[in-house]
Amino acid sequence: MTSPATTGPAYAAVLAEVTDALHTVLDDLELDDTPITPDTRFVEDLDLESIDLVTLTAELGGRYGDRVDFPAWFASLELSDIIGLTVGQLVQYIAGCLR
Amino acid sequence: MSRFLFVVPPLVGHVNPAVSVAAELTRCGHRAAWAGLPGFVGELAGPDAEVYPCDVPTLPERPAALRGAAALRFLWEEFLVPLAGAMAPGVRRAVEGFRPDVVVADQQTLAGALVAERLGVPYATASTTPAEFSDALDGMPKVAQWTAGLVAELRARLGDPGCTHDPRFSPDLVLSFTTPELAGPGPQLPQLRYVGPAFTRRPAADFPWEWLDEHRATVLVSLGTANTGLGARFLAECAAAARERGRRLQAVLADPGGVLDGESDADLLVLPRIPQLPLLRRASAMVSHAGQNTVAECLWHGVPLVVAPIRDDQPLIAGQVTGAGAGVRVRFGRADRRRIGAALDAVLDGPAYRAAARRVGDSFRAAGGAAAAAAYLEKFAAQKPREPQESRER
Repeated sequence: MTSPATTGPAYAAVLAEVTDALHTVLDDLELDDTPITPDTRFVEDLDLESIDLVTLTAELGGRYGDRVDFPAWFASLELSDIIGLTVGQLVQYIAGCLR
Repeated sequence: MSRFLFVVPPLVGHVNPAVSVAAELTRCGHRAAWAGLPGFVGELAGPDAEVYPCDVPTLPERPAALRGAAALRFLWEEFLVPLAGAMAPGVRRAVEGFRPDVVVADQQTLAGALVAERLGVPYATASTTPAEFSDALDGMPKVAQWTAGLVAELRARLGDPGCTHDPRFSPDLVLSFTTPELAGPGPQLPQLRYVGPAFTRRPAADFPWEWLDEHRATVLVSLGTANTGLGARFLAECAAAARERGRRLQAVLADPGGVLDGESDADLLVLPRIPQLPLLRRASAMVSHAGQNTVAECLWHGVPLVVAPIRDDQPLIAGQVTGAGAGVRVRFGRADRRRIGAALDAVLDGPAYRAAARRVGDSFRAAGGAAAAAAYLEKFAAQKPREPQESRER
């Protein structure tokens, strides 16, 4: 993760926001001892199901409002994108919308 | 008298409801035959079943870690698509040999629908899992497009490319072995009929009934038969959660893999197989992987669930259970004894869970099961225009 888009202060702020949203809506995940990094995979590392992703983005939608179009992001995902989907990919999308 | 050909995959949960329906049709004076893996179907449908053999690809070993979208891709690419291609010639021979009035095609066994449409035989869809109904990846249209693309390729090869409907949904009759009380409102299809689960009699495993203490609640724990290699950690946490509650409950754990060997005592009973149906008559709760059959059996008996879905249709079914208010979900990969124990306490102490489970169970009984399915099929066969050849014979 060394590309400029993933190192700016905006990116770090979004990562913090996504991490906080994960803790808020998925409190049964017991995330305390699991560090959330851009490389963390939603399904494989966090045990999320697709419905949890929808819940997560609904929470983030409340935080970012119209500035980020989450349904459009979901609609753009190919099957191969969803496999191994990482926190970093979501953060990057949000950061891109905020620019 | 009508003739029904059941096209089934080598999956027990898909064949068992069909066996009940076929038995009901036979009882009403109709004839039923099968297209599928011969030894396997014969074992489930009985020695007198008329089975037209189909080739079935060797099931590839699925990596245990595959879940979510990766499991979906594997299921289609490595199983459902090759299954359709391998079974199609056998299904064709079955249709030509048995000359059914109606093909009853399992929803995920695409050879049934596609061969029927190519040969111009009416077909009904038998849906035993919500997998093709509620999109597991809702809001991700490209996934549904990907699956639809695979189905279209299969139709070009095996079916009638002139047809435009989704072959997973017969345009005439779709039998769904659940009810809206569990599955939710579902798609608005005029040909969709909910018949509830259709159970088959199966020999119950031996059980030391005297072990049960009538002053304590009975809790069952089973991850089904297909997840032996995955469940060790989860089963051990279940055992620990149950043990901490030994004053109020006894737990019976199905452990086909033998990972809890030597754990049995007065609070905990570990067996390779458990007689689930008779035990459910007196159980207060069940911890399950949310397999369709187990969930249906629990709710039939009004038993609330702690669901820990692993993959495939299980997250969908678990969502149906919690949506109906009949259970609590925990995370298979992460839940520890504390989480599992808290979920158990919730369903044991909250009367609303049991009430919801009973509501769904009542809806199952009202839906009619195998008898209702047979009646719909009977009516469908009677309504369909006869094949030209048969008209000439009359």
